Amino acid sequence: MDRRSFLKFLLLSALLPWEQGLASGRPDLVIAKGPPEEALAAALEALGGMGRFVSRGDVVLVKPNMSWDRPPRFAANTNPEVVAAVVKLCLDAGARKVKVFDHSCDDPRRVYRRSGIMEAAKGAGAEVYYVEPGRFRRVRIGGEVLKEWEVYGDSLEVDKIVNVPVLKHHSLARLTMGMKNLMGLIGGRRAQLHWQLSEALADLAAFFRPQLVVLDATRVLTAGGPQGGSLNYVKEMDTVVVGTDQVAVDACGARLFGLDPEEVGCIPAAHRRGLGEMDLRRVWIKRLDGQRI
Amino acid sequence: MIPYPVNLFLRFDPLILLTTLLSTHRLPVVLLPALSVVGLTLLLGRVFCGWICPLGTLNHLLSRLNRRPRTGPGGFRWKYYILFGLLASSLFTVQVVGYLDPLSLLIRSLTLAAEPLWNLAAHSAFSSLYEHGFKALEPLYAFLRAHLLALRQPLYHQAFAVGVIFAAVLLLNLLRPRFWCTHLCPLGALLGLVASLSPLSRRVSPEDCDLCGLCQRLCPSGAADSREGLWRKAECFLCGRCQVLCPSRAVAFGFSLGKGEAVEGMDLGRRRVLLSLAAGAVLAPLLRLSSLPTRGREGLIRPPGALPEAEFLRRCVRCGECMKVCLTGGLQPALLEAGLEGIWTPVFDFDLGYCQYYCTLCGQVCPTGAIQELTQAEKAKVKIGLAHIDRSRCIPYSQGVDCIVCEEHCPTPEKAIKFVLGEVVTPKGPRRVKLPVVDLRLCIGCGICQFKCPLEDKPAIVVTPLGETRGGAFLLPT
Repeated sequence: MDRRSFLKFLLLSALLPWEQGLASGRPDLVIAKGPPEEALAAALEALGGMGRFVSRGDVVLVKPNMSWDRPPRFAANTNPEVVAAVVKLCLDAGARKVKVFDHSCDDPRRVYRRSGIMEAAKGAGAEVYYVEPGRFRRVRIGGEVLKEWEVYGDSLEVDKIVNVPVLKHHSLARLTMGMKNLMGLIGGRRAQLHWQLSEALADLAAFFRPQLVVLDATRVLTAGGPQGGSLNYVKEMDTVVVGTDQVAVDACGARLFGLDPEEVGCIPAAHRRGLGEMDLRRVWIKRLDGQRI
Repeated sequence: MIPYPVNLFLRFDPLILLTTLLSTHRLPVVLLPALSVVGLTLLLGRVFCGWICPLGTLNHLLSRLNRRPRTGPGGFRWKYYILFGLLASSLFTVQVVGYLDPLSLLIRSLTLAAEPLWNLAAHSAFSSLYEHGFKALEPLYAFLRAHLLALRQPLYHQAFAVGVIFAAVLLLNLLRPRFWCTHLCPLGALLGLVASLSPLSRRVSPEDCDLCGLCQRLCPSGAADSREGLWRKAECFLCGRCQVLCPSRAVAFGFSLGKGEAVEGMDLGRRRVLLSLAAGAVLAPLLRLSSLPTRGREGLIRPPGALPEAEFLRRCVRCGECMKVCLTGGLQPALLEAGLEGIWTPVFDFDLGYCQYYCTLCGQVCPTGAIQELTQAEKAKVKIGLAHIDRSRCIPYSQGVDCIVCEEHCPTPEKAIKFVLGEVVTPKGPRRVKLPVVDLRLCIGCGICQFKCPLEDKPAIVVTPLGETRGGAFLLPT
C-alpha cells in the first residue's frame, strides 16, 4: 500500500465504524448507488473484485427473484439490469458457465419473459432455463424445522451461488430479501414452510450458504408484496447492497426499508444460529452512496 | 397475443357455421371462412373429406390396416339422419354439434386424452430409464422436452372416457374403412348434400371397362360400389383411386364429359328424415329439464370473457381449444356442473389450476365467440366468482399458526385478501396470528388462492361463481 492509499485508509477508518474487516482489509458489506452496472462494478471492486468469490472455471448459479408475472417497473422481481450485470461480472471473473433459473410461483413461461430477466441474462451470456418438475431431489437439510426437503438438483451441482434478491414488502415475513429468495431453489409443498417461516428460512440459509449476496434495491416494493401490482408501491432507490454475510445483507436491507432487523423473523433466527451478524454496528459497511448509516 | 390463428380448422368448418347461425340466430362473422369450404365442395364435391380433413386422414391411415374386402356401402345414410337431428336441435338453440363434429372431436380428443397420454408415457419411460442408470438417451429426452413435450404434464378430467371414444372412432376403421367418414360424420353429410349439387361428373367408359370390379373394392367410401353400377356423388371423396388404379383406364372425372355416369340418388326416405328432425327438436327441451338455472351451480365457474350462460351454451362447440391453451391447466371439461347440456364445456377446477392474472389466451382461441376476447385491462375488472374461507379449517383460524399463503398469491394490486391480527384459542393457550379475510369488492375469483392453499385434502379457501360479473344471476347483497 502506498502512502496516499494509507492516508485515505486512515481517513475513511476515522469516519466509518468497523471491526472484523481489519483482518482481510476489505469491508464485509458495500452499499452503492447509481445505474446498476456501475454501482455493482464499484461495489464489487470495493469488496476485492468478483474474483474473490468466483474462481476460473467455476459453474455459478446467479439466483434472481424471478417468481411473479409482472414487468420490471413493478419491482416484483429482481431488476433485469442488476441480474445481467452480476452475470457479466461472474463471466469476466472467469466462470465457465453462469446459470440463471428460479422455481417461479407464477407460470415460468410468462414470468421469465415478463420480468425481463431471461432476455437480459441471456444477453449477458448466461444459461437460462425453466425448472424441470422431475429434477428435484429429496435431500437432508438437517435444519431445526426442515429435516429433509426437495431441492432442485442443479442448485446442488454448481460451484458457487450468488444470491440476487430484490427488496420487497411481504405480509407474512415482513420483508423478503436474500434468505427468503432461497425458496426458489426448493420444491415440494413449499406452502408448508410458511407455518414456521422464520426458522425454515434460517434452515435454508444454513443449507445453501451463498458465497455472495447482491440485494437489489434499485426499485423497492414498499407495499402489496411480494408481487405488488401498483406503481404507487414502488420506490426508486437506485441502490444495491453487496456482501458475503447473508444475515448482514438482509439486516441492511431491513434498515434501508425503514425497519429494525429484529422485526424480520428470519434475521434474528439466522443470527441466533451463528449464520451471520445482524447488528450492523458490528459490521464493516462501506457506503459508496455518500451517506451515513 | 397469439401470433397466428390456432383455431383455423374450426373457423373453416361449415357445420359449425351453420349450427351456430341456427342456435344463436346471428351471423357468426368469425366463422365466415367456412363458406370457402362450401364453395369448394359445390365445385369439386367432397374434396374436404378426401384431402383436407385431419380426422379423415387419421381414419384413412387406420383403414389401411383393414384387409377385408368391402361388402357394400353399408349404413351411409346414418350420417344424414344424425345431421338432421343436429340441425333441428340447433334451431331450437341446443348446440350439441361439438360432440360429433369431426374437427371438434379431433381437437378435443387430442387435447384431453392423446397429448396427456403421450406426455405421461414419454416422461415415465425416460424417468424409468434414468433411474435404472440407462442415461444414453438423455439427449433425445432433452430434444423432446424442448420441442414435443409439454412443460407441465397435462391432466384433464374424463380423459379416460374421451380417450376411449376416440379410440373407438379410430378402431371402427377396422370394421369398415373410413367408418366414421362414411357412416357417422355430420360434416361429411352436410358436405355430401352440397356435393350432390356440384357440376362434377364421373364417367366409366363402357368400352374399356371389363367389369373386374377393382374400383368397387378399392373405393374407400363405397361411392363406386353401387349395385346398379351408378356413382354416389354425395359419398365420393375424390380420392382418385378408381381412376388411378383401374387396369383398363376406364374411369375419368371432369366437368364436361358429355354424358357422365348416372348418379345414384341418396334416397333418404322422407319418414326417416322427419323422424330425425323430430328427435333433434325434442332433444332441446329434454336436455333443459334441469334444476340448474336456480340451484346447484357451485362448480360452474366459466373463464373470464364467457358470455352469459344461455348464450354461452348456444355457442360453445366443446372443441377444447380453451382447455388446451389454459396455461395452468385450470380449465377442465365439465361433467355435470353445467347440466347435461354442458358436458365437456369449459369450467374451472381451481384444485388443478387457476386463472393467471394477465393471461387472455382463452378468448383468443375460442372459434365461436362463446368466450369473448378481452384485453388485460378489461379482464382485470371481470369477476368469475368469489373466494370464501372456511374458518373451521383454515390454519390460522383453526390452529393458531401463521400461513396466509392465499394472501401472498392474490394478484390484485390492492390485495383482495387482507389480514387482521387476531387471537385464536388453541389447546396450548391463546395465540396471536395473522388471519386472512377476503375483500369481496376486490376479489375477481381467479382461484390462485384455492390452488395454492396448503390444505391438500380440501382447500380452506374456495371459489364459487357467486358474484360473477356476467349474466347477473349470482348476485350479492353489496
